[in-house]
Amino acid sequence: MDEDEAQKQRLKAAVHYTVGHLCQDIAADCEKQITKQTIAAIAETAFRQCDIFAKDLEAFARHAKRHTVTVDDVKLTARRTTALYNYIQQKSEELALNNQELKEKRKKNAAKRKSKDMEAEGENELED
Amino acid sequence: GEIRHLNSIQFGSFSSTVSSDAVILVAEMLKVFVEEAARRAVKQADSEDCDTVDIEHFEKILPQLLLDF
Repeated sequence: MDEDEAQKQRLKAAVHYTVGHLCQDIAADCEKQITKQTIAAIAETAFRQCDIFAKDLEAFARHAKRHTVTVDDVKLTARRTTALYNYIQQKSEELALNNQELKEKRKKNAAKRKSKDMEAEGENELED
Repeated sequence: GEIRHLNSIQFGSFSSTVSSDAVILVAEMLKVFVEEAARRAVKQADSEDCDTVDIEHFEKILPQLLLDF
């Protein structure tokens, strides 16, 4: 259990670090200062929110009789606010597009390699 | 980037697996959450004519933030 607790503390620290940077950037953008206490509070809240997301996602996946949490599960967690849902929907479409492009790239490379191999074989036969 | 790394660590301890795309999206959700928290707190400070965002400003916007997420 101590190892879990140590891991949790490390995660919290990492979240705090990232949250700190995000908040400082936004405050600076709006020409305001933000207290360390406020950043700590936001970080703590974000950490707890992550836990809530995780529990929801597991429940959704289980409900759909799946062992893997998918993009659809994540979209469900964004259902409460329309703007948020639309944003996540857009991001998921970008991801899908990205994956599609990667797939096609790999197919092209595989085809290239195949034709190169065949050329090499052809040359070998000539040498014989 | 950092958020995504954190996510994969945190989800590592869960009994189900998470698709890599899902991890990316959850990271986005958290990023939006933090940015909303900061922006709303700034707005609250603004409405009270404060140059410094204090914890009271954050506390005032927290209930609605949680309801929206």
